[in-house]
Amino acid sequence: MTETQPKVLVVDDAATVRAYHSTLLTEAGFRVVQAANGLEAVETALTTPFDLFVVDVNMPKMNGYTFVETLRSDTVGTPAPVVMISTEDRPGDADRAYAAGANLYLVKPVPPERLVRIARLLTADRVAAR
Amino acid sequence: MPEPPAVSADDLIRQLDDADPEARRVAALGLEGVAGAVEPLLDRVGAEEQPAVRDAMLTTLAGHDTDRVAAGLAVHLASEDAGLRTAAAEALAAMPVSVPALVPRLLEDPDHDVRMLCARVLADLPHPEALTWLAVMIKDDPHPNVVASAIDALLPSLGPEHAELLQRAVRRFPDDPFLRFTVEAALR
Amino acid sequence: MTSAATGTGLAKAEFEKIREYFYRRTGIQFADSKRYFVDKRIEHCVRAAGFDTFAAWFGALRTGDRPGLLPELISQLTVNETYFLREDYQFDALLNSVLPRVLAARGGPDRIAGPVKILSLPCASGEEPYSIALRLLEEWPHIDTVDVEIHGADIDGEVLERARHASYGERSLQRVPAPWLARHFSPVGAGRYQIDDGIREALTLRQVNVCDTAAMRSFRDFDVVFCRNVLIYFDDLSSRRAAENLYGAMRPGAYLFLGHSESMSRISPIFTPTRLPEGIVYQRPTGAKR
Repeated sequence: MTETQPKVLVVDDAATVRAYHSTLLTEAGFRVVQAANGLEAVETALTTPFDLFVVDVNMPKMNGYTFVETLRSDTVGTPAPVVMISTEDRPGDADRAYAAGANLYLVKPVPPERLVRIARLLTADRVAAR
Repeated sequence: MPEPPAVSADDLIRQLDDADPEARRVAALGLEGVAGAVEPLLDRVGAEEQPAVRDAMLTTLAGHDTDRVAAGLAVHLASEDAGLRTAAAEALAAMPVSVPALVPRLLEDPDHDVRMLCARVLADLPHPEALTWLAVMIKDDPHPNVVASAIDALLPSLGPEHAELLQRAVRRFPDDPFLRFTVEAALR
Repeated sequence: MTSAATGTGLAKAEFEKIREYFYRRTGIQFADSKRYFVDKRIEHCVRAAGFDTFAAWFGALRTGDRPGLLPELISQLTVNETYFLREDYQFDALLNSVLPRVLAARGGPDRIAGPVKILSLPCASGEEPYSIALRLLEEWPHIDTVDVEIHGADIDGEVLERARHASYGERSLQRVPAPWLARHFSPVGAGRYQIDDGIREALTLRQVNVCDTAAMRSFRDFDVVFCRNVLIYFDDLSSRRAAENLYGAMRPGAYLFLGHSESMSRISPIFTPTRLPEGIVYQRPTGAKR
């Protein structure tokens, strides 16, 4: 592990989804930290800077939209890119995600190679700037 | 410290409509155990816009582990508001007496998002039948995301007896790499 | 096949299950390096509850059949001792970060109206509220000009009596610097020391159940609350109600300290986590909307 590897926070209340996304991103060269809901993710983001957030929507205590709003607010205040991955594709959900401050809204299942490509694309600037 | 004056339940129910969110929050919390407050709280919880007030309402409602409250909260599993539907799921997961009667209907709900939330409720519901229902979801649900949620919920209680169930789920959705990964990891 | 009951450690899969369950429930995650510690404590839990196998014990834990299993598990997997100046970094945070912000928010040290109110709940036998008093007396520059009220509350009347009496043994006082001991305590024999009357009388003690909303209504306008190592033991609804009662006891913008391994992330989103140099604390939001 080196400091040049981009650091990702994977936020999902499902342990299986956290394990899956963490494995994909770790194998692709990212350093991965996990959080089990939006509130835990806020606490983690307050103490550690991240280059990317991969975030579920439906989570207990704090859902994905509120988490992203908090991330963009003074409470955390990070401009780091956010990918929301939802199990739902209701009309309006993507707009809600973008209004909260997400950079990309995807609907499950997301092909693994696409997730990795997107993660690399969204973190390229931040890695180059180091 | 001076004791604040006692407030009657009727006053608190009226206070649920106060313009000040803190007054509404205090009222909702103060109505703990008041059976007559169930309907007024159920009427308002869906429309309450302040999350702190809504959480207080749900805390008090979940304390009434009755069929009426469970049915009144289950409606919100289909809400457009992500905060409300997940908060409702959390409250239901704390109601082991009355939620079981609702489960068969939730398992048949045409909205797969509702069925997924049902799996999350079952993940935390302290009830001996929870594992049986999760197994039914894994075996029969037509939607891969619901099956994945049910597997996630079952995971802490997984035993060798579930191996065939999980392998069959992977065969039902051969194109889902996440499901394959999860089952392989679980059976390793 | 290993069995927790025979003292041969947990199987890897068993360790993973209990680790995930505990994380989901409490937010506390054990690293792989803690495997031995966790194994030993779980074996103890399984045996003490009279189960033959991990699977049987875990099944009962999971379904809630035996309500005592979870508190015992938490107690085994967390360290819970009461002594003076325990988790001292939080008192550092109080003095260096929180109180300056409280004073600033309330008009500054010269213009503040009314006392700064600090609550220790549960206060047990008094070590925590008296530790706060000692640190303020010894180290806080405004102690002579700003009025501070320290309140202690606990559900247990017996420990409150001990807090009122305020005499402590060596073990409890081991972290108190000798000059502080000389200045603020008197020996009462048998190696015990009693804290001075002035400090004892300044502490307001009350019996209360933090989950009792009606009783908690008389706790108002606190600027700082220490609620350490108790919410983790409550079930989901009780911990929510306790958090909501504490919220009602606090001024908007007031600060809440939990135990160092505790997290609000498993309890309630009504507080805003805030980063201080000394770590994370929780704030009651100043506006109504979070």
